[in-house]
Amino acid sequence: MHIPDGFIPFWQCIIYYIILIVALYFASKWARENLDEKRIPLLAVLAAGIFAIMSMNIPIPFGTSGHMVGGALVAIIFCAPEAAILVFTVVLLIQALVFGDGGITVLGANVLNMAIIGGCTGLYTFKALKDKIGIYASAGIGAWLATVLAALACALEMAAAGTFPLSVGVPSMVLYHVFIGIIEAVLTVIVIMALNKFRPDLLVWNKNKIEGGE
Amino acid sequence: MADITKALNLDELASKESPIHNLDGRIKLISTVFIIVVAAFSNNIFIPIILEIFLLIVLKIAKLSYADSFKRLALLLPFGGAIIIFQPFIHPGNVLWSYSWITITDTGLNWAILLITRMITSLTAIVILSSTSPMQQIVASFRRLKMPKDLAMILSIMVRFLFVFIDELAAIRKSQKSRNFHIHSKLTPYKWRVKQVGYAVAMMFVKSYEQGERVYKSMISRGFSDESDLFNEKTSLEKSDYIYIITIIILVVILEIILIKYSANLGYFGQNLSIN
Repeated sequence: MHIPDGFIPFWQCIIYYIILIVALYFASKWARENLDEKRIPLLAVLAAGIFAIMSMNIPIPFGTSGHMVGGALVAIIFCAPEAAILVFTVVLLIQALVFGDGGITVLGANVLNMAIIGGCTGLYTFKALKDKIGIYASAGIGAWLATVLAALACALEMAAAGTFPLSVGVPSMVLYHVFIGIIEAVLTVIVIMALNKFRPDLLVWNKNKIEGGE
Repeated sequence: MADITKALNLDELASKESPIHNLDGRIKLISTVFIIVVAAFSNNIFIPIILEIFLLIVLKIAKLSYADSFKRLALLLPFGGAIIIFQPFIHPGNVLWSYSWITITDTGLNWAILLITRMITSLTAIVILSSTSPMQQIVASFRRLKMPKDLAMILSIMVRFLFVFIDELAAIRKSQKSRNFHIHSKLTPYKWRVKQVGYAVAMMFVKSYEQGERVYKSMISRGFSDESDLFNEKTSLEKSDYIYIITIIILVVILEIILIKYSANLGYFGQNLSIN
């Protein structure tokens, strides 16, 4: 889902960069208020971990392998899409400059898809459904929807850029990610289950419970 | 996505000696971004191709192996390449070739050629940057170019810890391999394999979170506070830095002038192939 350099025209790149800068402004404000001094080391080391997670091969039927994105996961765990924005901006910047995944001119568009759209969709779906169908099911649906919507956004951006017409781009990108999203969802749920078991204090909703109980 | 365990070789490669390796990090970063911006937004293949030739000369000066660099480049092409491959078939234009419902149009083919040239030039610039500058140098350059403090610090610390997690990832892979675990192995149920990968992801997440907390505590105990900033080594630009960046700027200016004045003589190279 990493759009490479050269696929999006100049003015559209500028628009995505403006969105990125505004998002980063609010994300840093959020981090300063909610994580205080801890924000820098915590988010930095977590970003390194996410980087490693993103390069783990995950099995996809038919013998291919894919990679997890994790935008929804980070947003759900911190209960804030801002965390995903900060983490993904640095991860995608290094991926573009050192590993050649994605690109520097399209950084804004890639952060928009994976962190802003992915993170917000994942988190708000999770929040809306949490009390009705439980934590795990809602996290799974959130992660699945985040993957599909991020792919849809990617297809729409490509269409706006004239690179991939809507009639071809939307069905192929969305259909593929409807399947990939299921695996992303399952992995997100497994991670949250594991965290709930081993480090329940890391999950914001448990924190409220612990604090409320005291 | 590229395999990050390769980052170790990359940093080793980037720590070698050559006139390009010795340039100031900021100059390398700015010139790479500049070349990418010029190539990625070019409407003709003339500018990206000449820049690519220039980059191949830089590759030689940097004493990098052509074979290895091309191999890296080839590994980076798939996602963009997959999109480019469809281009000749999906854009309306004069039909060049058709077979039942499949048609190739000139507009689509030209656009595909333009996209691939842009992409190869951009990626060559990235390959040169990452094989001549260690990651720490790239992040330090961002800091010195006045990136916002929070982001710059997160970036610097992330790069430092990236190598810890690369080791971690390598260890996980090794232990999975030693137990004959394979993500496509048909001997185990698919559900079980996904679960195992999920556990590995969860472990990596918990490890990075806990490491983050430990790093925070150790930084606090060494006097870290909100006002802390990272130390920036002060180096001044040398003659070679100016020569390098000025060469690139002059090259681009000359190319633009040639394009405006002689576009008719350049034939296909000077044509506007863009469709947006």
